[in-house]
Amino acid sequence: MLETLPTTTKERHFDARTMRGRGVKATDDIWESFERWQLWWLLGLNDIRQRYRRSRLGQTWITLSLLATIAAIGITYSTLFRMNIKEYLPFLTVNLIVWGLIAGLLNDSCMAFIQADGYMRQERIPKAVFILRIIVRNCLIFAHNAVLIPVAMLILGGSISWTLLLAIPGLAWLLLNGALAGLFLGVICARFRDLPQIVNNIVQIAFFISPVMWKRGQLLEQHQGLVDFNPFAAHLIIISDPILGRMPTLGNYLMCLATTLLLAAVALPFFARYRERIVYWL
Amino acid sequence: MPSIELIDVSVDFPIYTAQTRSIRADLLRRIGGRIQEQQDDRRFVVNALRNINLTLQAGDRLGLIGPNGAGKSTLLRVLSGVYEPPQGTIRIEGRVSSLLDVTLGIDPELNGYDNIILRGVLLGMTVDEAREKTPGIAEFSELGDFLNLPVRTYSSGMMLRLAFAICTAIRPDIVLLDEVVGVGDAEFAEKATARMRQFASDASIVVLASHDTNSLRNFCDKGVLLRGGRIVEMGPIADVLDHYGHTASP
Repeated sequence: MLETLPTTTKERHFDARTMRGRGVKATDDIWESFERWQLWWLLGLNDIRQRYRRSRLGQTWITLSLLATIAAIGITYSTLFRMNIKEYLPFLTVNLIVWGLIAGLLNDSCMAFIQADGYMRQERIPKAVFILRIIVRNCLIFAHNAVLIPVAMLILGGSISWTLLLAIPGLAWLLLNGALAGLFLGVICARFRDLPQIVNNIVQIAFFISPVMWKRGQLLEQHQGLVDFNPFAAHLIIISDPILGRMPTLGNYLMCLATTLLLAAVALPFFARYRERIVYWL
Repeated sequence: MPSIELIDVSVDFPIYTAQTRSIRADLLRRIGGRIQEQQDDRRFVVNALRNINLTLQAGDRLGLIGPNGAGKSTLLRVLSGVYEPPQGTIRIEGRVSSLLDVTLGIDPELNGYDNIILRGVLLGMTVDEAREKTPGIAEFSELGDFLNLPVRTYSSGMMLRLAFAICTAIRPDIVLLDEVVGVGDAEFAEKATARMRQFASDASIVVLASHDTNSLRNFCDKGVLLRGGRIVEMGPIADVLDHYGHTASP
């Protein structure tokens, strides 16, 4: 598994090889990362710009490709499910955009340090910066895509409800959990290079077993657990339901809370323990 | 006042893809660190640095000398904080500016001006600070209108000029240079050396790894000779260079 190299302790202000010492360094790392927000902002912004450099349509491709996906799935599945397309399209649009954020956060975090090896081996940069960069990058993509939501609502005659306000804390909560998951995934994927692909596959499967394209009402009573105990579904619902004019259930919020607690309990000590080793794995 | 103190520092690199099991430790080998086979027979570790003890004070100009693979770049990276050593104690006071690889941290698609901002922020400046420093950096680099072109159009010498100018725009307490000055032309080398001298006399610490004995002799006052990850000689630069010259070929 993950190796521990032999250590010798020397007296100093604090012993960086105890968990406490490592915890201090990890906390400093995260703190310093927030202080250096301009760095991850610039890096995230640059990630988007770079993708579309020398292309005619530039960043609008993000929105255009989503539009194509919505049209294809929307027309096909509203026919298959025999649903009113005016009702299905806004539902699908919102879900696909939010799912894009969830999937993006998870998949990109796997590569967060691997991709940044050039920077990490040249300067001392607090490691959490690279996770926050992933957050920025995905939020920018989300923002590009979110313009389609009011468009879809308007064209298809949906209405805005006060519940929309709940989407904001929902979004913030997703980003928090995304950052915690990112700390764990980024580190462990730098060490075990099979994991990014495995995470990709898990996210793909999660797409199908979560109510992104289908409504939970379509499930039989005995299968409701697929949504109730599905953390991906919970994070999706706390953002998309408010936008669509519904209140998420308490169960959804509790699932997100449980995720936060579990992630914090696993990811933070893990990050503290292996933070200094990341650069040796690159 | 900047200072550097390394006590008994060792750095090992784990190798995860070594296919062969039969790498034998070759004690007569000149090049590289020691390759060590681990207990469970499936991993190898390169001992890049062994028991490094080093103390530097403000104003020191240290030259790192040694054959390829001796550990010079690794030591520089330990000094810059990139590699946190699993063994030993390290105390560094002062702001570090490292120029270890000219092209790293520079985005080839961005133009010179944008790269100044990006590189500056990577070094720890704020965007405003980087903007403020831009005219000074542009002047020092002498790149003129090329700064409006994407950096991928630059020669390696031009990139060095830009990178060096950015890294030394804020007077750092500790400057680390890894064999980069060879790429610049003679005139730039003079400018760069002059700037480094100025830093050193303003009490910065400068550490330079190089194979160019002339510039080492010219600029550094102290020297450290590394072999196989260990310091085999430390002292005034002229003495260390002579020792290296005499013991170079087996």
